[in-house]
Amino acid sequence: MVMIEWSEHKAYWRNTKTQMLTSLVPFLLVLVVLPLYAEVLNSMRVLVTIAVFVNRQDAIDHSHGAHEDI
Amino acid sequence: MAATSRAGLVNPRLGTYFGIFASALAALVLMALMLEQLGVSDAAVRLVMLCGPIGLYAAIGLLAPTREAQDYFACGRRVPAVFNGLVLAIGALGGAGFLALTGAYFVVGYDALCISLGISAGLVFMGVLLAPFLRKSGDYTVPSYLSRRFESRTLRVVAAAVLTVPLLLLLAAEARFAAYASARLTRQPEEAMALVVVVCATAMVLAGGMRSHTWSGSAKAMAALIALAVPATIVALMLTNLPLPQITHGNTLRVLTKIERGLPILTAPPLVFDFPGQGLEPLAKRFIHAFGGIGSVAFVLTLLTALAGIAGSPSLLMRPGSTPGVHEARKSFGWAVLIAGVVLLTLPAVAIYLRVLLLEQVVGQPIDRLPAWFLTLRDLGVASVDPTGPTVRLVNISFDRDAVLFALSYAAGFPQVLAYLALAGGLAAALLALASALLASAAIVSEDVVHGLRAEPASETARVLAARGALGGIALVAVWLAIAAPADPLRLFLWSLAYSGSAVFPVLLLSIWWKRTTAWGAIAGLIAGLVATTAAILLSEAGVWTLPSVLAGAIGLPIGMAATIATSMLTPQPSQHIVAMLQEIRVPGGETLYDRELRLQRLKTRPVA
Repeated sequence: MVMIEWSEHKAYWRNTKTQMLTSLVPFLLVLVVLPLYAEVLNSMRVLVTIAVFVNRQDAIDHSHGAHEDI
Repeated sequence: MAATSRAGLVNPRLGTYFGIFASALAALVLMALMLEQLGVSDAAVRLVMLCGPIGLYAAIGLLAPTREAQDYFACGRRVPAVFNGLVLAIGALGGAGFLALTGAYFVVGYDALCISLGISAGLVFMGVLLAPFLRKSGDYTVPSYLSRRFESRTLRVVAAAVLTVPLLLLLAAEARFAAYASARLTRQPEEAMALVVVVCATAMVLAGGMRSHTWSGSAKAMAALIALAVPATIVALMLTNLPLPQITHGNTLRVLTKIERGLPILTAPPLVFDFPGQGLEPLAKRFIHAFGGIGSVAFVLTLLTALAGIAGSPSLLMRPGSTPGVHEARKSFGWAVLIAGVVLLTLPAVAIYLRVLLLEQVVGQPIDRLPAWFLTLRDLGVASVDPTGPTVRLVNISFDRDAVLFALSYAAGFPQVLAYLALAGGLAAALLALASALLASAAIVSEDVVHGLRAEPASETARVLAARGALGGIALVAVWLAIAAPADPLRLFLWSLAYSGSAVFPVLLLSIWWKRTTAWGAIAGLIAGLVATTAAILLSEAGVWTLPSVLAGAIGLPIGMAATIATSMLTPQPSQHIVAMLQEIRVPGGETLYDRELRLQRLKTRPVA
């Protein structure tokens, strides 16, 4: 059973929040601003964001011992 | 029990089973093509294309019965990420995405992008902000999760009542889209077909609940993808020599832009939302020109409303619970965004190809020498042309928004079976979204209303029976709504997104990311979001203000968020126990909270030997 240490909780959640903000805020900005100024939006940006998010979040989980036993 | 090994849960033969399904569907289409060539009546071919796929989905659904609650509500938590993503993506799009959005691209061009972007971004936001934590919690419904998170039964009942509104609107919308597609295949009235499709969708999931829905839903999603890909790929090959419509329609767009130079350039005021409605719509706008029908501010607000609405959709939020773990739930959203992205890149390609064919073969022709395919579409009530003037002009042509997907096969000169295949694909997507909404509504009624207020947990049999009974009741309501709701189904779909975005999304978001949120804050947020959105819709429909009713979420979301924060700040801080549970929800490792609670309850009630 993989359980995160209680002392690690705060650091883990801080990293998760940073990762969430760095993933979603630029994505949302691009999503809102680009259609206003560009004729065509490159939808691949969506795919890049989710793929980068999954890989980075897995890395954060592992570095804090919070990962699933899979 | 630790998070169970994925390999021990997932059926290794799934690929084989769905390979067999895809082969059976391909064989069915080939058989229909042969029947058409042999001169079998058109009605018989249409019936094959309607009943064949529905029979396959029903067989899959009926062959996955269960009596266990975890199977019924969460498919035993053994759905691989790719299948979960497939059902999520096509369930999010539904008939609204496949039928109405394609038509919206065809009629207003670029402006329809706001809904596409909102849906795909909503899946990204749900995958990042909500889904992994709901999976760790493991509850079967959103009200159950809120009740556990805040330890409040009042919140559970309030959430169940509030969530019913977007679910009923979604049910009505998807039943109408499914009825439209099946009515085109049977040439029967839509009202009668609404009854048929709701009965079929219910029958497919009645025996096994989420288990039946996941596997028959995967089959529906595959059918929808095949039906969209086949005509679009062949037309792409014909027009661009490359069978990749998602990539090559850019070149065709340049051709289209040159042909459309004669059309006037329209610019809508910032808050105008002039979206194509149901029925025949005139083609008065250039495809590539932005903000001709939807103003720039309305474009951004629609995008954000759709984003929050999809991210907070109660029918989609049930899906993360069916994956083996948090990691798989995250991965499934990666797959969902990929699949939705491919579909959302194909839909404008279909619209562009049909528009090019229309401009090349119909526009400029004498009014009495129109091509045979256009006359067929006119006879079907899908297209019309204003007969004034010696030749046809684009602004004189009107088109049925929801018919564009299957009209492409007629315009390209394909056998009629491919047009029926496109209709069957739209029907499959609508049935999938309809079944998702039916299951989510039934689960809320049975788990949160019937059994939610009991002190002792009900037996597995009682829970499954209650869910089946609720499913039957919700199905009756869905039929009534589909027949009685007079509004355009796309408008109903957008209203549903406005409600889930303003009432559900802010509360769920804050429940995970702000530990100061309290039960009273969540209740206030749910009610404020619901009331504000309802008021905005009613005021807009009554003509009191100019904000379009589909943008009501832009009013409701900030009010719901503000009400949650303000009420939470005014009420006492959550207890240490609640904060500790939230911290556990935030960490992916360890046992699913709901499963652990159930295991401990079983241990407590086990008779001593």
